[in-house]
Amino acid sequence: MDRLWWHFQQLLKIDAMNLVILVIVVLIGWTIISETIPNPARYLPSPLAVSLSSVDMLVKGLLPSYYSDTLVRLIIGSSIGLAAGIPFGLLLGLNKTVADMFHPMMNFFQSVSGIAIFPIVVIWWGNSDTTVLAVILYTSFFPIAFNVLSGVREIPIRYVNAARTMGASRYQIMKDVLFPGAMPHIATGSRLSIGFAWRAVIAGEMLAGRQGLGWMIFTGQDADRTAEVILGMVMIGLTWIILDHYLLRPIEADTIERWGLVQR
Amino acid sequence: MTTAVGNLSIAVQRRFGRQRLRKIILGSIPFAVMIAIWHANTVFDWLPPVFIPPIGDVWEAIFFLQEDCAGFVALVMLDNSCLITTHVFSSIGRVILAAIVGLPLGIAFGILCGMSRTLSKFLEPVGVFANSISGIAWIPLAIVWFGVGWVTTLFIMLNTIFWLMFFNSMLGVRSVAKVYEESVLTMGGSRWDVIKQVYLPGAMPSIITGMRMSMGFGWRALIAAEMIGGDSGLGFMIFTSAAEFKIEEVFLGVIFISIIFMATDKYLLAPLEKWTVERWGLVWRPT
Repeated sequence: MDRLWWHFQQLLKIDAMNLVILVIVVLIGWTIISETIPNPARYLPSPLAVSLSSVDMLVKGLLPSYYSDTLVRLIIGSSIGLAAGIPFGLLLGLNKTVADMFHPMMNFFQSVSGIAIFPIVVIWWGNSDTTVLAVILYTSFFPIAFNVLSGVREIPIRYVNAARTMGASRYQIMKDVLFPGAMPHIATGSRLSIGFAWRAVIAGEMLAGRQGLGWMIFTGQDADRTAEVILGMVMIGLTWIILDHYLLRPIEADTIERWGLVQR
Repeated sequence: MTTAVGNLSIAVQRRFGRQRLRKIILGSIPFAVMIAIWHANTVFDWLPPVFIPPIGDVWEAIFFLQEDCAGFVALVMLDNSCLITTHVFSSIGRVILAAIVGLPLGIAFGILCGMSRTLSKFLEPVGVFANSISGIAWIPLAIVWFGVGWVTTLFIMLNTIFWLMFFNSMLGVRSVAKVYEESVLTMGGSRWDVIKQVYLPGAMPSIITGMRMSMGFGWRALIAAEMIGGDSGLGFMIFTSAAEFKIEEVFLGVIFISIIFMATDKYLLAPLEKWTVERWGLVWRPT
């Protein structure tokens, strides 16, 4: 909490003025462009129109409901993915041979993007919430598992041997050597997999037609309500900035500071 | 006989290296097991072929899709009769086009904006914001602007690549110590010299990392864009095949997508990154 507050103060101290000027410049430029092009309602609604549509959607209660749908999906999907992926990566990393064995396969699965397996999943479960959840789970599970596995593999074997010489059990090795050693990779991997999951949520909602921010911008385009599309994009961007810059990045930096500088 | 096998084994080990050979063999075991389970599924009928296609069907789908191809000219001209090659090449073509246009543009703008500390401080939030909505969130707006087609997919990929490159090279330039720039200027170097001798090498590790990242994110965004707003490419192919419940074509497309991405990343981008970090990365930074 303290750290979040500190970040907030830093934001106010240095960037606030710059940010205000920047936002004003962007809004003016946007308005000028939208005034000069023909048919702005379709191609680029002015900031005023976008804010009016946001008021409209807030009054109708659509925006909060879409927003919470998307967030709930992200939180459920990525927390299950992380909770399953971290132990899985650690377990695979316990044994060097097993780790070498599964490394290429995990690499293969983490480079198949979740969006690419969407058509397969849609055949299995149709356009349902299960499909979206499965895609999010897939996208959040494999990057974290792969990163943890890589992290465990990079721990020098002499640390494990040292612990073993002193009579540590398998569980103790995992708890005291592998887990702390893989900590920076766990933090980086979590950020990565939540990032991929966020994109997968948006795309999954668009493709599967489940209510949420992605669905909002997709139907907005279908129904010629471009103001809603831009509103949705701004919301998506702002949410990710808040999530990434004020939550995940500080956590990652702290973790690397605390656990990362192990002498190799 | 045994000596012949032994000699061959030693020759193979010398050629590939013992450790690497061990890794290759070990690494292929899970794939073999996976393929065996996949095949067993067909043999024992655990899941119906509508859900998991037989391996043979996936292999035959290549020839089925390529069946009507009217010779080499049609293949090169990306004719719609040669489905597989047309979709693969149009995806790869878009990647290459977006890389050729987007990477230099992003790097150039990034370096120019990074040169002025004030300007870059202003533009940093722009980069952060653009990066957080880059990719798929632009697809609906791109469809409004350009309609469904290759322009939309190219735009999505370009957008993703450009902002990542812009942001990374800007931060890279900003991280170069001012001492170097000043010393080149003191010795009578021009602005161009500073760019060439200081900024570009100094920002190189950051640029190459950004390049690898942008290709990864760009490829993912491209597949999504082809599904939603495209009319050709691998993403389009798997999406339309799924709509017709031709799951063997979907599997084929997914395998192609991952193989293309992994090959590019492993044999082009990762070595490039490693080489750059080794060559340019360990610049001494005054504290």
